[in-house]
Amino acid sequence: MKSESGDVRAEGWICAKCGVALELLPADATYMGSSFQVDLPRCPVCGLTFIPPDLAEGKMLEVEKLLEDK
Amino acid sequence: MEQALLHDLESRCTQEEAPACRSMCPLHVDGRDFARFMGEGRFDEARAVLERFMPLAGLCAFLCQGECMPHCRRAETDTGVNLPMLERACALHSRPGKAMPLPASGKSATLAGSGLSSLCLAFELGKKGCKVKIVHTGEAGQALAARASDLLPRGALSGAMERLLALRVSFERVDDFSPDLCATLLRENKILYLGLDDPALDFRLSAFGLEHPGDPLTLETAIPGIFAGGAGISFIKAAAAGRRAAGSITRFMQGVSPSSARAGEEVYPTKLFTDLSRVLPVPPVEAADPKTPTLAEAAAEAARCIQCSCLACVEKCAWMARYGAYPKRYAREIYNTLAMKVGHRRANAQINSCTLCGLCAAVCPNGADMGRFCAEARKEMVSSRHMPASAHEFALEDMVYSNSPEVAFYRHQPGHERCRYALFPGCRLPASLPEQTGKLYAFLARNLEGGVGFFFRCCSMPAKWSGRPLLTASCAAGLRETWEEAGRPELILACPACALFFSAELAEIPIKSLWETLAALPLPDTARALDGVLALHDPCTARDRPDLAEAARSLALRLGQKTEDLPLSRGFTRCCGYGGLSLFANPEVGAEISRSRLGDTDKDLLCWCVMCRESLRSAGMRALHFLDLLFPGEKDPAVRPAPGISTRQENALAFRRAMLQNFWNEEDEVAGMEPAIFSMDGEVAEKLEARRILRSDVEKVLLHSKEKGAQFRNPQSGRILSCLRPKQVTFWVEYSENADGSFTVHNAYCHRMRVPGTPGEGLPTAVILEGFDPQGGRV
Repeated sequence: MKSESGDVRAEGWICAKCGVALELLPADATYMGSSFQVDLPRCPVCGLTFIPPDLAEGKMLEVEKLLEDK
Repeated sequence: MEQALLHDLESRCTQEEAPACRSMCPLHVDGRDFARFMGEGRFDEARAVLERFMPLAGLCAFLCQGECMPHCRRAETDTGVNLPMLERACALHSRPGKAMPLPASGKSATLAGSGLSSLCLAFELGKKGCKVKIVHTGEAGQALAARASDLLPRGALSGAMERLLALRVSFERVDDFSPDLCATLLRENKILYLGLDDPALDFRLSAFGLEHPGDPLTLETAIPGIFAGGAGISFIKAAAAGRRAAGSITRFMQGVSPSSARAGEEVYPTKLFTDLSRVLPVPPVEAADPKTPTLAEAAAEAARCIQCSCLACVEKCAWMARYGAYPKRYAREIYNTLAMKVGHRRANAQINSCTLCGLCAAVCPNGADMGRFCAEARKEMVSSRHMPASAHEFALEDMVYSNSPEVAFYRHQPGHERCRYALFPGCRLPASLPEQTGKLYAFLARNLEGGVGFFFRCCSMPAKWSGRPLLTASCAAGLRETWEEAGRPELILACPACALFFSAELAEIPIKSLWETLAALPLPDTARALDGVLALHDPCTARDRPDLAEAARSLALRLGQKTEDLPLSRGFTRCCGYGGLSLFANPEVGAEISRSRLGDTDKDLLCWCVMCRESLRSAGMRALHFLDLLFPGEKDPAVRPAPGISTRQENALAFRRAMLQNFWNEEDEVAGMEPAIFSMDGEVAEKLEARRILRSDVEKVLLHSKEKGAQFRNPQSGRILSCLRPKQVTFWVEYSENADGSFTVHNAYCHRMRVPGTPGEGLPTAVILEGFDPQGGRV
């Protein structure tokens, strides 16, 4: 699940708890009983996943709709 | 879904029925397609239509005498479209098609006589690879040429003969059909056709051992394998007889009864409904030389074809028009989607976008009701766990909020132990017009004998519209319980959707419409009419309640308010887009449906359903509610914006608080109504509305972030990004904290997919009470 321009970016954001920069790491995304792995910006220490608005309203919404109509 | 439901709908929708020209043509030539291509100057395509339906089209096209013309629907306005002229022009000026015979089948048949029925039969059998021999006297086709000398141009008959030769049809010339020859033919051929339209076979039936010609439909005679027909009928009927004989002979060769599966071969009146109200008379086009009409003359005549079609519902409903077809096709697509085990369920969005308003059934001559069909489809989607959670979750959560003890309440009229009536304003009216609803209650309490209680909650129609019968029943039970505790008052309903819900789900509760009630009371002192004429918009939920539409009109009359009916009103009214939760499940289609009203009038709309008022106002129309006339507030109520999703909920809470205080002198024990802890600009507020994020959702994220710590920080901008998944949606809020401890929200968005690390309880929602559980199992 990538944004149109390629990798999902988290320009300038750091994990507030751990204070470290985010890294593109595999994450399990789940919806409607389906689960799949995607590279998303995550905190390398605590694993918190970052979702930017263009991803939430773009590709992510598209995949949600696809899974809903499956 | 029960197949019977599909078949019932399919049988009611006539759009796929043949036009009258086709059903009444002995050859069933599709005159509608043919005339369309001719009118559009697509002559080769027009020719292809003839080739498809007519055996030996280059011959038959000249022999048609327009048996369809008296049945042409244009004939009800002036005269039927002159298809024979069109066929003649087409055959004269276009290239004939090529018949591609199938490989030789090893079967053979002998045809006695070379009339049109024999030639057409030879053509049909030859195409199928059957070896055909025509036994004839004189020149082949001689009798036809003589009978049709004034119709056939030079070369038409020889062209047909060439086509037959190309299909390997052989010709055997005899001097006479003598009794000996007849006996020989009978003896030597297992399959024999007697073309009685050839005079050479006159009075020869007995020589073949027959007393009667063949059956008019199958052309079978008393002797198996012997077929006969074509006598004493028009050319086109003879051509049809030849084709039917081909059908019988093929069946006979396969060992199937020639009479099996012959439905629709004879002429029949069509069931296709066509609205003729807008058909204007157009004089028929005469060809300068009737024997050689030009393509231009034919195209002009073809343009008189009204292209018979029903589409009565498609013309009036934006939902119908949007998906490019008509009920019969939609029903099949929906049925197929419901029956799918795996794969893309393509009709889901369509099923959930229908307003269930019943306009299609009202305008359909046979009452085909896609609304009812979609409502059933939704129930099945829910029960088979295929209903997307996103379709109705927001609307159902909103309903649950309206029915929660924090919002819903019942009180007797102050000073009464029992009440004969209770005002049930519904959930939307108080949230949209809180002050007027309060005044309405005071007015009714003052003017009705026996006490008027106040009953605030949602009727639970959203549960029903979303296809959840269990949730519907449990919500209805909750309502019934409060009503019983209240001493079973008769409910006065302000909202026609509530009335529809009560009659279907709570029939034991006596109800009365507010509009009937007001008819029996004096007008409030405050009532005023507006200048000018207002267009009355009737709600679709009262489609079957002409009495209520009348009550609204008589109220307007008493008010001195000038009104006019919209082109689609009363039983034929349009839905505002709110019906069936269309605006929630598919905002784009819902808004398109709302906008349908835009073209109907340039007047301000006067509504008696508040949902209509809000939806039509949101679609950009000037609209007001009757309460704006009975208890006027602002100067120009037609422009008052419809409250957004958050304002509505906040208004409901404020309304409850104000009502309890003003009428019952109670301080509301329910918490809430705290001052807002954050600010945002108009653009962000619009985003919240479009993404259906409540201000209370944003607050939850902010409070959680403040208490448990933020998730992300941007050191350059100093902003914070936090998320929370209180239920089945993850909300993200980008904000900054101000020096005074308040927050400024810069953006908010949401998604339904789960990713690791998101805090929140992920609680089940109203959707999960019945239907698909996004976790993959039932709760």
